[in-house]
Amino acid sequence: MLMRTDPMTAHTPAAASDKIRPAVQLDGVTKRFGDSMALHEAWLKIRPSEFMTLLGPSGCGKTTLLNLVAGFLEADNGEIFIDGDLVTETPAHMREIGIVFQNYALFPHMSVAKNVAYGLKTRGVEKREIARRVDEALALVKLSGFADRKPKQLSGGQQQRVALARALVIKPKVLLLDEPFSALDKNLRGSMQVELKQIQRELGVTTIFVTHDQGEALSMSDRIAVMSAGRIRQIAAPDDIYRRPADRFVASFVGDANILNGRLVEKRGDVAVVSVGDISAEVPAAPIAALSAGDALDVFVRPEHLAVTSRGVSGSLPGTVTTQVFQGGHVDLYIDAPGSARERILLRSPGIAALSSCPVGAEIGLTIGSDDIVAFPPREAA
Amino acid sequence: MNTRPFLGWFVSPAGLVAVGLIAAMLAVFQYSVRAYIPGTLEVGGFTSANFEAMLRPLYALAFWNTVLICFETAVFTLLLAYPLAYALTRTNSSALRSFILIVSVTPLFLGEVVRTYSWMIVLGNNGFLNTLLLKLGLVDRPLRMMFTSGGVIAALVHVTMPIMVIMLAAALSHIDRNYEKAAESLGAGPIRIFMTITLPLSMPGIVAGFSTAFAWTFSAFATPQLIGGGRVATVSTLIYQLGFSSFNFPFAASLSIIGLALSLAVIALLKKAASPLERMAGTT
Repeated sequence: MLMRTDPMTAHTPAAASDKIRPAVQLDGVTKRFGDSMALHEAWLKIRPSEFMTLLGPSGCGKTTLLNLVAGFLEADNGEIFIDGDLVTETPAHMREIGIVFQNYALFPHMSVAKNVAYGLKTRGVEKREIARRVDEALALVKLSGFADRKPKQLSGGQQQRVALARALVIKPKVLLLDEPFSALDKNLRGSMQVELKQIQRELGVTTIFVTHDQGEALSMSDRIAVMSAGRIRQIAAPDDIYRRPADRFVASFVGDANILNGRLVEKRGDVAVVSVGDISAEVPAAPIAALSAGDALDVFVRPEHLAVTSRGVSGSLPGTVTTQVFQGGHVDLYIDAPGSARERILLRSPGIAALSSCPVGAEIGLTIGSDDIVAFPPREAA
Repeated sequence: MNTRPFLGWFVSPAGLVAVGLIAAMLAVFQYSVRAYIPGTLEVGGFTSANFEAMLRPLYALAFWNTVLICFETAVFTLLLAYPLAYALTRTNSSALRSFILIVSVTPLFLGEVVRTYSWMIVLGNNGFLNTLLLKLGLVDRPLRMMFTSGGVIAALVHVTMPIMVIMLAAALSHIDRNYEKAAESLGAGPIRIFMTITLPLSMPGIVAGFSTAFAWTFSAFATPQLIGGGRVATVSTLIYQLGFSSFNFPFAASLSIIGLALSLAVIALLKKAASPLERMAGTT
């Protein structure tokens, strides 16, 4: 576990993160549903104003974690702190959090203004002050003329803005977003992401964002906690997650990855030298600490980190182009390289040059053009 | 025709029943405008005397009484059924759920007469309730519960409960739980959540349950007849008395027609009065 969180401390000075009081802190929080372990000893510190994403496939425990922070579920073990206060036993309505639900959950019997005012009314805010803050919140989400509409009369994107305004107007200690974009169509999703990120940064509100979409996670987050099977696998900044995944699961869940057959040559402290065919490369040593020189291992290389060269050039792997897919800005080449990889290799070539230079059937050489490669022990079953 | 080849066949049994029903209703209507000839089942010529007679205080009072009993029954049923329906839809314990279902739905499976007799045993002067109260020393002589409209209402509430519970539970189970979670996250405690979210959103179920309870009670016969013992006059007991004791078919028929019209009118009125409430719940 400690080993896995290493990449986080590598990029966030440990001294700084210890000095600042975390906005949200989970200390070994565990939640079981009957026999199944929904969340296993989650340790997490979220800094004030941070945009933290919980990323993972469905059933990984990310929604459970969100519900525990919100107070909708009770932890079986462990403690939860919000703003330094122990809230493990605090009921949801006293935690001062704002939530945007996947389906927005706007109260259908209330107007937009009443929806936004709800959280202020429960706090006994004075009437004129409520009106002022509701106006302000609606202006923030660019829905000023919509105060008297009913939720049903709004589009999906507008409903989401209302939900956001409703959650933000109470100045929550933490903003929780439960897959808020999944109900929007693709174009709208992109612009809402930009807008949400902008509002979040402007207000500096600490945010926990739950998603299964790695693209969303990479583009919006300050840090990402990748989860699988009830465990947090890695907590790190998006580029670290992408470039230095801590384990096999993270490497294959975030972004595309080719798995090449490699061998451990030697270890030099933090790094290890591995060989793939003629190629030798350096990878982080931590994930393969258990292996010794000469052991087989799996080398993970991103499609854009592979490059095409002529067959037979030293330091290249032989392969045959089997499919070309034109993607607009880049070309995806699928390459058979039976000696180097068990599965077809995907190579992402920028521009359109590869369309003519690498026709189907071309016999080519592959090189690795990046230091951002990682290696893991081979999968047991394989 | 080709797209619905069996439609005609499927609808014909219902059509036959409908024809029979309409014919019967027309016959009742026809009787209601005929003159009564005492001592015979034959009827005389056309007249409006039957309807004029209904303005007499005795009958007007029976109508008013019936509406009042129906209204009170519906109110009490609603008050008793709502917590049950709420528990039914919200509990995680399947044992409690089954228990509530059994308790609230069994009255449906007892015949009306059986149910009414059991209430007579409970409510009678030497009945269960009075014996209990006397033994406990809470009263020194039996309370009169039989032959009162209170007793009738108690028994009618029992009859109406199942429908009300089912209709309310249906409405409550359709409320997205995220509404309540959202309200909770916005700082609302359980009571505020119930008053501002759950209750307004269950309004369509309340309106539907209330109207149904009202209509059911309006046509109830055995319960007001046996427990009211002729001292609680409702429209249906009057119809029975006039039709089958006095054999005044024309007057019984006119009572039926007015009763039907009245109950339709009241339900329409209820729906109209409830429509702002339903709009509030955002269902229309």
